Amino acid sequence: MATGNDNGYDIRSILNQMREEYWEALSEEESEAKQMLECLVFTLGGERYAFETHFACEVIRIPKLIRVPAVQSLVTGIFNLRGDITAAIDIRPMLGLAQPELGPAGRILVVRGDLFSTGILVEAAHGVQPLDLERFETAVAGLSAERKQFIRGHFNLEEGAVLLLDMEALLAAPELLVGEA
Amino acid sequence: MGNRYLEIFCREAEEHLASLQSGLLVLEKNPARTELLHELLRNAHTLKGSARMVGLADISAITHTMEELLKGMEQGLRRVDAETIDLLLKGADAVALITSALMRGVPPELDVERFVAEYERGESGRLLPAEPLEAKVEGAVADTVRADVKTLDNLVNLVGEMIINRKRLEAKLEGLKELCYELPPEKAAPFAAFRGELEEDILYLGFLIQDLHEKTMGLRMLPLKTISDGLERLVRDLSLQLSREVQFEIEGQGIEMDRVLLDGLKPILIHLLTNALSHGIEPPEAREAAGKPRRGSVLLSARHEGNSVLVEVRDDGRGMDPAAIKAAAVTRGVIEAREAEGLTDEEALYLTFRPGFSTAEIVTDISGRGVGMDVVKKNIERVKGNVTLSSETGRFTQVTLQLPLTLSVLDALIITCGGETFAVPATYLQEILKVRRSEITTMGTDEVIKVRGATTPLYSLAGMLGLPARRDAGDAPLPVIVLKHCDQRIACIVESHVGYSEVVVKGLGKQFGNVRYLFGATIMGDGNPALILNVPDLFQPGGGAPRAVLSPEEEEAVRRRPKVLVVDDSITTRTMEQSILAGQGYHVVTAVSGEDAMEKSAADRFDLIISDVEMPGMNGFELTRLLRASETYQDTPIIIVSSLSRDEDKRQAIQAGAQAYIVKGAFDQGLLLETVQMLIG
Repeated sequence: MATGNDNGYDIRSILNQMREEYWEALSEEESEAKQMLECLVFTLGGERYAFETHFACEVIRIPKLIRVPAVQSLVTGIFNLRGDITAAIDIRPMLGLAQPELGPAGRILVVRGDLFSTGILVEAAHGVQPLDLERFETAVAGLSAERKQFIRGHFNLEEGAVLLLDMEALLAAPELLVGEA
Repeated sequence: MGNRYLEIFCREAEEHLASLQSGLLVLEKNPARTELLHELLRNAHTLKGSARMVGLADISAITHTMEELLKGMEQGLRRVDAETIDLLLKGADAVALITSALMRGVPPELDVERFVAEYERGESGRLLPAEPLEAKVEGAVADTVRADVKTLDNLVNLVGEMIINRKRLEAKLEGLKELCYELPPEKAAPFAAFRGELEEDILYLGFLIQDLHEKTMGLRMLPLKTISDGLERLVRDLSLQLSREVQFEIEGQGIEMDRVLLDGLKPILIHLLTNALSHGIEPPEAREAAGKPRRGSVLLSARHEGNSVLVEVRDDGRGMDPAAIKAAAVTRGVIEAREAEGLTDEEALYLTFRPGFSTAEIVTDISGRGVGMDVVKKNIERVKGNVTLSSETGRFTQVTLQLPLTLSVLDALIITCGGETFAVPATYLQEILKVRRSEITTMGTDEVIKVRGATTPLYSLAGMLGLPARRDAGDAPLPVIVLKHCDQRIACIVESHVGYSEVVVKGLGKQFGNVRYLFGATIMGDGNPALILNVPDLFQPGGGAPRAVLSPEEEEAVRRRPKVLVVDDSITTRTMEQSILAGQGYHVVTAVSGEDAMEKSAADRFDLIISDVEMPGMNGFELTRLLRASETYQDTPIIIVSSLSRDEDKRQAIQAGAQAYIVKGAFDQGLLLETVQMLIG
């Protein structure tokens, strides 16, 4: 188990590095043509977040969630996604965010990782928006280390900042796996 | 012949024969393409090895001759001519003839003995009937098709979806009835008529789905006979080896079960029969002295009971001695002496299921029984079964396994608890009670109730699962379910029970591993999921307190289970070795080639490696040398299992760094297990 984790972190740091290089390269190119990134925008812990649309399968209203006994609190419950049992997870503690109650605007973003699909609980979904990469900055001031792990940077938009989630890192986080392999 | 290994062998043989035949035909046209010989040689060699594994001496002899012929051609000692190729094709035909006869369970249309003798002399098989292959192909096409097991599983899943949808329709129909009541009378009448028709349609659809379900499940069902043939052989060999006289009988060979379950059942039966022979049945002299017939009897029987299958293994040997078992359990530190005193004789038998009980050799000497019974229990739990023991010292031992017919649909009691709905598999359910507060007494720190005179611990199911429990006021009767597992009973307070239902078992998806307390989930009529409880988890020591997801002891046990890597290009050998070792509780991973083995051994840490010699690409000796050169595996035991029996090969294996060398011809599961146990315990 311990060795697996070490490998995981190694890979993650390499991925992070690659990702940074990728973004740097992108911001250099951007000066020529205006580049947009298609993102799904939503609210988490009162802040606006986004991730690339290719991770998203669908956005649904929160159905009845069935609590699973004796598992980590991250897993709020399971629900029936057209015959497939799917977990609904609350990632806000992973990002160090507050957990305001999910009201009628609450949604589940079903995302697809390499290994599994899972449902991310959000306070509201604002649909797909093209975000201007020119306004993207990798550095986000005042973020704790644990938050940095899953955040690639932010877009400075007129209506306020939108943080870009690192979905790849998030879906690979061991905290998401339930039970013994 | 229904032996599972034979089936696997026949399927494997089919592939090798097809590739032999096409290769030989190409070679016949282009004799210069000698590079084809190597692949052909490998086909023949693998066939020979696999045939030996399953004890088919004739096929092994024929393929041996074929191998010699091919070797001769490869080394240039023999001309690549039509005559030799014809001889080789005849050999392949004969093997095809024998395997197809085996598959159909009829004697081959060939005097096999004479053919083998003539074939060895290099005489073209004139005994072969004309064009047997075509005949075989025609016969097979007529009434059967091959279906992938995966396709069957998909089919079963789809039918499961249909059952769920039928339930949803039924729930909607109920809703419609409610709406009907609210309508003004003049509209209600035609509406009710329409509803009635709809109800009939849904009812008919239900029948069709039920029928479809049964037929689909039937596709995956195989009779017990598929695994019992090999067991007769096992008992025969063991009784010879141990000098016991045994009459082995099997009843209910035709009872059918899901093939997944049969797979799980086989190692359990091997285990129980081995126990019966080595620890149950006494030597003939001892039996005579005790006034019993010289010949011991072992009975394996299967029968239906409700929606489950009962499989019993009974022997009339020395039985299990409760006093000796208690003493051994105390010596082994499995229980405290004081606790042992309080146990009834029946309860004492179940001590053999406790982990740590069976590892000691002294136990087998004193109590006579109980080797690896904890492994049996674990395997039974894996297939959602129950096991009970009964025995009388000096007279008999009987182990009864209660198994579900299938794992994809379960009979379950639907309950609510902690605000959630759960399904409890009916196999574990003893009864449903209403208990008044005044009937609950305390014993030590535990609350207990009397169930049919027996003191039974009472827990709150919500408490056990760590869900919020409702506090009941006053003396309103509490709904209680009594659960059984082996000899134990516990009573659990639930919120309510909703009724019995057939539930379709669904996995929790890849995000979930083995989650404590859960067997899977199902989807209820309202479209919401409900969790299916894994009842044995509720019986783990620790009682009603909410516990960690995995106890340290369990983690330790998982970690301690030795990991074995089995490397062989023959699927027959792989399956056989895997099932022998897995049956003994080893964690087995298989690799299909040396390269595959290198990859898998780098990704994981194995305690032992078992490898074939002749494989496409890297051979077993090269693999051994490579592993020895690596830091991780320089001291890991390696066993070579091969059909090469020359001393030169054994020497090469030892030189490469292998610890043991087992010849496939002399291959029996005892030897492999013994060697593995000697090396890694």
